[in-house]
Amino acid sequence: MTWALICEGIEKRLGGKPILRALDLTVAPGEVVSLLGASGSGKTTLLRGIAGLNHPDAGRIILNGVEVFGHSRLIPAEKRQIGMVFQDYALWPHMTVAGNLGFALATQRLPAAETAARITHALDVTRLGPLRDRLPQALSGGQQQRVAIARCLAARPQLMLFDEPLSNLDAALREDLRTEMMDLVRQEGITVIYVTHDQAEAMAVSDRIAVMRDGEIAQLDTPETLYNEPATPFVASFIGGFSLLQGMGEGGTFHVEGWCLSLPAASGPHVLVIRPEDARPAADHPATRLIAKVRSAAYQGRCWRLTVDIAGQIIRLDWPGPARPGDWLEFSLPPDRCRLLATDPAPILKPA
Amino acid sequence: MAAVDVPILLVFGLLIVLPLLTVLAQAVMPALFDPKAPGLAIDISPLAQAVMAPRVIRSILHSVELGAAVAVTATIVGGLFAALTQRFRLPLRALYAPVPWLVFLTPAYLKAMAWVLLMAPGGYLAQLGVLPHWASDAFFGLGGLVFVHTLSLFPLPAFILGSALAGLGQDIEDAARLAGAGTWRIWLRINLPLLLPAIALSMIATFAEVLSDFGLASTIAHSSGFGVLTYGIYAAASDYPVDFPLAGAEALVLLTLILLVTLADRLLRKQSALRLISGRSRRSIKQEPRPRTRWLLSGIAVLIGVLAIWLPLVVILIRTFTATLGHGLELTNFTLSNVIETLTPGAPALDAIWRSFLYAAITAFIAATIALILAARLDRAGPNLRAAVNGIALGTIAIPGIVLAFGYILVWNRLPGFRDWPFPHYGQASLLITGYVAAALPYCLIIILTAVGQLAPSLTDSARLYGHGPTARLIKVVLPLVLLAVITAAALTFIRTVFELPVSQLLIPQTGSPVPPYVVRLLGHDDDGLASALALLCMVGAGGIAGAGWLLARKNLNFSSEARQ
Repeated sequence: MTWALICEGIEKRLGGKPILRALDLTVAPGEVVSLLGASGSGKTTLLRGIAGLNHPDAGRIILNGVEVFGHSRLIPAEKRQIGMVFQDYALWPHMTVAGNLGFALATQRLPAAETAARITHALDVTRLGPLRDRLPQALSGGQQQRVAIARCLAARPQLMLFDEPLSNLDAALREDLRTEMMDLVRQEGITVIYVTHDQAEAMAVSDRIAVMRDGEIAQLDTPETLYNEPATPFVASFIGGFSLLQGMGEGGTFHVEGWCLSLPAASGPHVLVIRPEDARPAADHPATRLIAKVRSAAYQGRCWRLTVDIAGQIIRLDWPGPARPGDWLEFSLPPDRCRLLATDPAPILKPA
Repeated sequence: MAAVDVPILLVFGLLIVLPLLTVLAQAVMPALFDPKAPGLAIDISPLAQAVMAPRVIRSILHSVELGAAVAVTATIVGGLFAALTQRFRLPLRALYAPVPWLVFLTPAYLKAMAWVLLMAPGGYLAQLGVLPHWASDAFFGLGGLVFVHTLSLFPLPAFILGSALAGLGQDIEDAARLAGAGTWRIWLRINLPLLLPAIALSMIATFAEVLSDFGLASTIAHSSGFGVLTYGIYAAASDYPVDFPLAGAEALVLLTLILLVTLADRLLRKQSALRLISGRSRRSIKQEPRPRTRWLLSGIAVLIGVLAIWLPLVVILIRTFTATLGHGLELTNFTLSNVIETLTPGAPALDAIWRSFLYAAITAFIAATIALILAARLDRAGPNLRAAVNGIALGTIAIPGIVLAFGYILVWNRLPGFRDWPFPHYGQASLLITGYVAAALPYCLIIILTAVGQLAPSLTDSARLYGHGPTARLIKVVLPLVLLAVITAAALTFIRTVFELPVSQLLIPQTGSPVPPYVVRLLGHDDDGLASALALLCMVGAGGIAGAGWLLARKNLNFSSEARQ
């Protein structure tokens, strides 16, 4: 198979500080891969490197079999045929909606009929036809975002890059637009790299997610695998509201502050990944029973979200009934859902 | 540094750095341009001798004394004006709001001319009987110079302190108010200490402006026998017999002073950077004082406006339409003869106007175009080149025009290779325009660079991803979005150039004088009626052309703000 994108050993330093460290990434044609990470993790630097808007210090970038960056080869951004939806959309404010699309197509020197057809198609699928003669500033945020996508679609790029495209929108609008945007992209079969710091967004849009940390990819997997089998405590801490309970593995058991859970742990320090929805009544799984003190409780509709304290470690649980701060709560965890991870040498980052 | 940066360095090197280096070389190599025995020997004894000459020492002391006094007075007046206009909602806004810009755009020698007409022993104020003898005498000396300079330069501190005041924001004052502080206490204990760096900056900037001034130096100061450095350079470089080594020595002293001042400015900016207030603070709300206080405060702001611009304009207007100064406001004294003499086809005054307008239009076009290209290149250039060009641009603003013009004489009249170069050529309009462009380029660059810097980088990045090269990006994306800034820069350059004195004075082409030297010459011959008419018609013409163009552009270019970051 020809990969749509291969990044090999990408390195980049800014002001002496390493931003990307020997990073590898491959993306299959038509695949949507998210780069998920906190600010400073290098995701935007990687994205701009792929686009050609900055240049790595080392490594190779191969786009549909053609090397666009390498030891002796540098294809400039304007020749790479890559589309990008910017965080601020980057619509040219002095051109109409159709003008924006037309300017994006201008360098391809297509016959006039083809250009017009492409513009009309892109505007139709993004439902912007009636707005084609408006200036961008006369449109709502959601419409502006659709123009940015239409502009990309019209140019038929080899690869489409999204740089946190939803971060400028209201929470309510975000989900609708996300669904609409990804439906469009998938219909057109475009390969996408999507940068975000929002794990829920990454889960929703991606075929695979690359969790980035300090210029490296900590784990690259499907959303399900990341959720069910996070590879490191860092990844677990970054994905969706998990709690990490620190303890010691010893002879096939896991010890936490006087409690002993029958879990197949190797010797040494480990963390137990607890997903909130896994909390069960104590009687369900006596071998993995724990007692915790309730710190706070918030009603969430289908359950109560409890914050509980196990000897100083704070854990979040979804619980079917109410509880009062100060109560003692007995609960258990299904052993097949318990994931033990050897402690990361670096400190665990709290998700934002 | 990449090869593409060569044009940027070439432009600045040729227009600014080379003339300056030649001035410096002339100062330490007195025989450099000796017509009989030119030599490269470094000899600082003539420099030392020149600097120790009583006349030069006196002009150094005069320059410093005047600069220091005006730094204080202009900062007080400018600070007061900024506080009044920024913090209070006052009546009669139309009378004071445009004043700083009008003062800024009106050349110093015209304000000087108006005040001379008012304060001269037989002038308007004496005729009205409101001016005692001693006041008239005191005006032609340090006192008058400080007075006119203060009114002429207060916009600078008003801009600096005004933006600092705006930066303080409302939250910090509200916090003090909630802690129980009254208005005076807030100003004394909160605002004033926080404004101290800005106050120091505005004093430094004003001091440098006074050192560089040539307009008052060649009018009030010259006629009062109050010699300052800039006029000394002009006299040594142009009065027969020309004394280039002396002009070089005085230029070196002046540049050294300016350099020290610029260094002080830099140090202060570095130190005060930590104290800058966060951009999140809300903008301050204008207070609405009680009616009585409101009219009093408004009165102060209007008074500053009247003295700084309205009164001088009225005086020039009256003098334009009267036959003699001596007959003052007598009805029979009113006449159109000055205007008619100015506008008579073929008359030297009208020729001067056409010449100045043509040169100014060419200068505005060239300077704005070069600045746009440089700004677009610089916006993507490495930090080192940006810093270098920024330094040169800001430095050039501080360099007195008279020194730059002297450098042009040395390069284009004496330096082998340049001396015989056909275009631009010494003694021709081409060199005068080159000098104008050099003097205007830093201002244009700063205005346009600011606008280009405010464009979201993604706008050109996206154009690039869609395959557009540098030229297409400049013309199709950058230019339309910064067109208002480009037109603003061109309009300001046009007005400034029509009234630019020092470069015009030293580089008068053989074909004839542009307006500014002609006005100064008329004043020197007490032909102040014609001088007033010429100045007034130029102000109306240049202001009308530039203002109309700018307003038209602003009306039609309303998307610029959308493209900001």
